[in-house]
Parts: sequence; C-alpha cells; structure tokens
Amino acid sequence: MSANTPRLSAPRLRAGAWYGYVLLVALFLMTPLFTLVIASFYDGRFLSIVDYAFTLHWYEVAFASTSIQSAFLNTARIAVPVTILSTVIGTGGAVAYTRHEFPFREQFKLLALLPIFFPLLLLGLGMSLWANVTNLGYGIVPSIIGELVWISPIVMFVVSITALGVDPDIEEAARDLGADTVTLYKDVVLPLIADGIVSGAIFAFVLAWNNYYIVSYLSGAQSTITTWIHAKMTQGFTPTVPAVSSLIFYSSVLLVVVVALFEYNKSGTGEHE
Amino acid sequence: MSTKHLLKSHFDRAAGYTRNSSNPLFALVRPPWLFMAPIVALLLFMFVGPMLAIVVFSLQSGNTIDPNPLGWTLAHYAEIITGMISGTGVYGQVLANTALVSAATVLATLVVSYPAAYALARKIKRYKVVFLLLLIIPLFTSVNVRVFGWALFLVENGVLHSLFNLVGVGEYPSLLYNRYTVLFGTTYVYLPFMLFPIYLSLLTIDDVTFEAAQDLGAGPLTIFRKIVFPLSMPGVVIGSLFVFVLSLGADVEAQILGGGSVFTMASNINYSFGYSQNWPLGSAQAVGLLLITIVAGVLILRSLDLREIASRGESR
Repeated sequence: MSANTPRLSAPRLRAGAWYGYVLLVALFLMTPLFTLVIASFYDGRFLSIVDYAFTLHWYEVAFASTSIQSAFLNTARIAVPVTILSTVIGTGGAVAYTRHEFPFREQFKLLALLPIFFPLLLLGLGMSLWANVTNLGYGIVPSIIGELVWISPIVMFVVSITALGVDPDIEEAARDLGADTVTLYKDVVLPLIADGIVSGAIFAFVLAWNNYYIVSYLSGAQSTITTWIHAKMTQGFTPTVPAVSSLIFYSSVLLVVVVALFEYNKSGTGEHE
Repeated sequence: MSTKHLLKSHFDRAAGYTRNSSNPLFALVRPPWLFMAPIVALLLFMFVGPMLAIVVFSLQSGNTIDPNPLGWTLAHYAEIITGMISGTGVYGQVLANTALVSAATVLATLVVSYPAAYALARKIKRYKVVFLLLLIIPLFTSVNVRVFGWALFLVENGVLHSLFNLVGVGEYPSLLYNRYTVLFGTTYVYLPFMLFPIYLSLLTIDDVTFEAAQDLGAGPLTIFRKIVFPLSMPGVVIGSLFVFVLSLGADVEAQILGGGSVFTMASNINYSFGYSQNWPLGSAQAVGLLLITIVAGVLILRSLDLREIASRGESR
C-alpha cells in the first residue's frame, strides 16, 4: 500500500485520470452553486471576481425584508406538512407494494411511481386547470396537495428499496410467535425499515423546500422562496437574490449530507474495504 | 393503556372478521388495502384528475368546460397539425426545436456521464461518498436556483468574463441567450438522470466477469464492447428515456439561459396558458407531451426492477 515504486506509476496515473474526470463532472455540477455563494458575499450590484470585496450586507438585507420573510414562511408552511404527509403516504405505499401480494400489484406500482417520471411543468399545468375546475383554488393547501403528488412516490421509492432488503420470513416468524397485526407493524416492520423512512422524509423536505414548478402554478398570490427568486430573475434583479438562493442551498446541503452520513454509517459497520 | 388495548382488540376483531367474510368494504381496512388507500386516493384526485383535465380542456372552445360532449371540438388539434404540415405556423418549428434540443441533450448527457458512471462504479474506491455527494447535491437544489447560478457565471461582467479578463482575452461573443446555451442548460440539469441509472447498471457487473474475460485473453476494448457496454444497456435506455422526457418539459432553462432565442414546446405551452390565455390551445399542445411522457414512464417502470436495486445496495 505504502510502497511508492516507479513500477506502479502508470496504473496510478490511469487511476488518477478516472478520479480527475469524475472531479471535473462534479465541478461542472457545482459551478452555478459556487457562483451563487461567491456572488452572495460580493460587495456590489453585479458580480466580478477582479475587484471582489467581502460583505454580509445582502444577507442582512434579505433577513430584514418582509417580503423575503413571508416567502420563507410560506415555503416552510408548505414543506413541513408535505414532509409529514408524504412520509406517511409513501411509506404506506411502499409497505403495501413490498410486503404484500395482491391482485393488480404491478399496476399499483406503475400508477404510484409514474408521477416521478413526469416533467414538473406538465404536472403543474394539469393541477392548475384541475384546481380551477374542482374549485380547489390556489394557495398554501392546494400547493401542499400538489407537491404530495410528486414527492409521495419518491418517498415510496426510497422506502421500497429499504423494505425489499428485509427478509419476508421475519414477518411470518413474528406472526407465528403470536404478534397481532398492530404489533407486527409497530414492533417489527416499521423499525426494520426506519432508516429508509428517515432518508425518505429528509429527501421529501428538501424537494418540497426547493420545488418551483408545482408551487408556481398552485400557490396563487402567495409567494414562496423559489417563485420569489424566479420573479426577481425575470423582472427586476436585486443583489439579494444570490443571498436568498444561497440560503436555500445551504439548508439543502446540510440535509443531504445528513442522509449520506446516516447511510454511510449504516453500510460502513458491516463491510470492509 | 386501556384505550390502546381496546383499539387493538377492535382492530383484531375487524381483521379476524374480514378474514372469514367476503364483504369487500371490511376488506378495505385490512392491509395491504389500508396502506395503499392514501396514495391511490391522492393520485386519483391530484394526478389522474389533472391529466384528464388537460385532455378535456384540449377539446373545449373556451376557457371553461362545456359539460355537453357534443359541443366539444377538435379545432385546436387541427390548427396545430395543419400548422405543422403547411409549415406556416410556429408549431413545426417549435416541435423541431424541442425534439432537437431533447435529442441533443440525451446525446450530450450520455457522452459526459458514461465515463463518470464507469469510474464511480468500478474505479473509484476512496472518497466515493464525497464524490457521490457532490453529484447528488445539485439534484436537491431548485432548478431555477441552479440555472440562475449559471446565468451569473456566464453573464457579461460575470465570473467567466472576469476569468477571461485575467488571462487577457478581452473580447468574446456573449455566451448567454443563444440556442447552445439552452442545450448547455438542459445538459447540465438532466445529467444526473443519465449518470445514476448507468452507474447502477454498471454496479451489477461482477468483478469475476472481468477476471474471466482477461484470463480468456480479452483486451480492454473487447471487454468494453462485449461485456461492459451490453450489461450497462438497461441503464443507458432508462437514462435516455428519462432525460428525453424531462428535457421536453424544460422551460426555465430556455427562459433564463435562452432568453427567448429558442422557442420550445414547454415555453409555447406556457405562453398559451399565461400571456395569450388560451387554455384549450395550450392543453392540446400539452396532450402531445403527456402521451410521450406516459409511454416513456411506463417503459421505464416496466424495466425498473426495485428488487435488483435493493440487492445491489446491499452487496456494496
């Protein structure tokens, strides 16, 4: 491992090239986000890295602005219920699909996971027409129901992957040992898939927090962070936009890293490199 | 404590009762139906309903639904199709643009992500979690935030401009607001949707397969052509379908980075709904997108084996 002989240098170079390429792709994916963070601390109206001067001014402006505060509040009002409801709904779907045999099981999977593969523009448009036809209207509650359509299937997907890794014989054993239906789910099934549920819930929150298309069609007069950013981008840019965008980026990073560490620790305990 | 027991006994009695009875109403409170009910109800109300609304609206003559199907019209479809055939309207141009952008996006994402997926699945062992994180994080950041970041990067007097100035290149054509920037944007946004399916399919290849091929005298090129590529095909197909469909609906990319230089189906649909307030015409265009999406979505889901993905995650 530590031997650094010249004989190894050619394969090592090749391995380095693979690492380098993936790093380039990762950099490509992160560039706009880094740009936003740099811009958010820039002391001036438009970003230039030549005469860069650091400032927290735009964050202060953002925190003081009532329209930004209310946009954050609306986003939270949508994201928190969506997280709770989609976790319950998605876990239900995953348990039904992975732990049970029933007629039309594959058709159920098709319907339940199909929204994941829809362009959000199409979902948003349809929901907007539907909200008009059914008198559901526009605002926070329609936005919650709308986001649930896209996020519950994603939670179901994440939980299903975990649930499929659980041996079905465990359930039968629990039944043989006298567990009734409630005990079976409360003490056996749910604890076994808890990791998947937690990951699914965090993903649900991050996706709800960042959703643009669906809320832009359903939120009506209420503005959320993403619709606020979009409005400022297309009409009347202010330097607070990078600061606000960076704020929602920081929160997403934090949560995704939590999930990753969580998954890594779980898989790290049992395996060796 | 006692209420819990009471509930439990009620539930068990109901479950026991339904097991011996054929009353379908009672069967509904029993798993798995109980677990399925919320997601099915939600999707019937807020997914199937809205998609049907698009179809029904495409047959209306105004922005309200006429309950009498005899008053429905195919005029919007006729307008779009004759426009495409005669080549006078925008529809032919829009369709060609959209198909071209989507196909080019599929190709570009495939070329960029295949080597990366291969490296991640087979070559990268150290810091793998860090690399995966860097690739995943952008997926969980709002599309318009990321596209806006690119606009800041590419805009005149932006990051790229000052970088060019630093190395002494003062003059270059503006990189924002042209059709290649739109393609750049869609490639950027949908890259992970190509990368991860290919990565997952490459994970399935057993190391033993490589050793065996090498022992039998296969060179790197033969191994790639005969083993790696065929075995990654499911990932390539799923990724391509996914990227194609999603980029058909790309709107923010065209708006922010394209600045109206390229009209795509998505921006045209949006225009019909927003500015010109012609819902039926917008719906008729959306029906085309809807049909393609459903076909591709069902194809992806049919070939997606959740059990296989789960076992892969375990073997890692």
